[in-house]
Amino acid sequence: MMHLIDLSELTAQRGRFDFFLEQVRSRFGFDHVAYLGANPVAGTMHGYVTYPEEWKRLYIQKAFHLIDPTLTIAQRSISPVDWSRLEQTENFRKVFNIAHDFGITSHGLTIPVRGPYGDTGMLSVTLDTSGHEWKGRIASAIGELQSIAVHMHDAVMNSDAFSNVLRHSLLSSREIEILQWTAAGKTQQDIADILGISHRTVEVHLRSAREKLYSLTTPQAIARAIALHLIYPI
Amino acid sequence: MGATMIIVIDAINKHLFGDVLDEMFQLRARVFSDRLGWDVSIENGREIDQFDHLDPLYLVGLDDEGNVVSCVRALQTTGPHMLSDVFSSILDGEPPLRSSRIWESTRFCVDTARLQRDGASATAISRATCELMVATLETCRDAGITDIITVIDPVMNRVLKRSDNAPYDYVGSVKPMGKVSALAALLDCSDERIARVRAFAGLHDNVIATEAEVLALRAARRAAEAGDGWMDGQQATSLPGYAVAASVRPTIGLRALAG
Repeated sequence: MMHLIDLSELTAQRGRFDFFLEQVRSRFGFDHVAYLGANPVAGTMHGYVTYPEEWKRLYIQKAFHLIDPTLTIAQRSISPVDWSRLEQTENFRKVFNIAHDFGITSHGLTIPVRGPYGDTGMLSVTLDTSGHEWKGRIASAIGELQSIAVHMHDAVMNSDAFSNVLRHSLLSSREIEILQWTAAGKTQQDIADILGISHRTVEVHLRSAREKLYSLTTPQAIARAIALHLIYPI
Repeated sequence: MGATMIIVIDAINKHLFGDVLDEMFQLRARVFSDRLGWDVSIENGREIDQFDHLDPLYLVGLDDEGNVVSCVRALQTTGPHMLSDVFSSILDGEPPLRSSRIWESTRFCVDTARLQRDGASATAISRATCELMVATLETCRDAGITDIITVIDPVMNRVLKRSDNAPYDYVGSVKPMGKVSALAALLDCSDERIARVRAFAGLHDNVIATEAEVLALRAARRAAEAGDGWMDGQQATSLPGYAVAASVRPTIGLRALAG
């Protein structure tokens, strides 16, 4: 399976968020992928979608983002929301009756993201398929989609000038220690043995460190940690 | 049949379970303040804190009469949560873990007093505890969560260990919290761990109930309470709408007798 190009590698590139969503779409074979985020610090909203232009235009013209339950209701959940939980609502029918005319399915999932400064985001994916197939596809992708949702959200929030200064999560000494040993070429098991902790503890701290450094992969996180002088290059 | 029926409640379905949540806040007051002596604030017999206003995810266990007997709360570690905001001393001044794949669980409790009063054995209490643990692990796993960081006291830590659900590690150190101490433990949401806890408690069936099942159970309880001794023999579940009328009827009967 191809690797997703980290958004931090695409800094300052125009259209990078659209490009990233296209990558996600083709990697998992979804019909569509969409992201909407709200940054109360900068007072901005950001939307990126792979939907066809005509649907995008109509959606904005009808102000569906104000009533679409895959946004307005799903945003308040902490776990991924299968759209089947929302289809009984009147607004769902209102939006998706028209969406169907544009070939957009009502089989979807919204992954809500909560950031540290009251910022919220949502990554949605859709796929027109049978209920059984849909469940399987989501079950196999859900973990990665969680990581992708936060990666996209952080990158979009950081693109707001003010937030870029505010938004950085501090790394703990353990996270830095583990990044340093990883940069020195040690495996997770080596590090666990050196520090006298479990393999899983190393994994969980590495995962957290990657996200705090807005990286999808460990090499990307190491590069950023070196650039920020958190660890020494070896 | 499990000892309890567990319902997952979040912002999307909480309007259906307002009364269940209210009972849950009362259970938390009895357990964390009255029994364990934690430093929590109680208002009107309910323990509610700032994180309950952030639309967390709850898992709530009900006994076969529909009473709330267990609960736990989950929050994302990417947003505001207890370890980042109020329990930071446990982390010795270090910043908390932050990951889309780690959720924080807090306020895990089981109403052992109620279960005992109902005549439940130690095994049944352990079973109710394990059902909530399994429901939590499975809910997290299905949401793509790999690990849980949980704020617990030493008593809960022993319960976890005894249930073949021992934390694989701890973060920070044990810190005094009111009359007791608190610590942060790590649990993976792997199929292996879920299988271990299920095997320990002998759980083979689904532990999570549907909304319809729980709504029917609660309606039956309301009907039973309202109609005590009046609706002789009628199926309580089929009469949720009669709850109000039934509570009035016996009074009329008494008046008639007195008159």
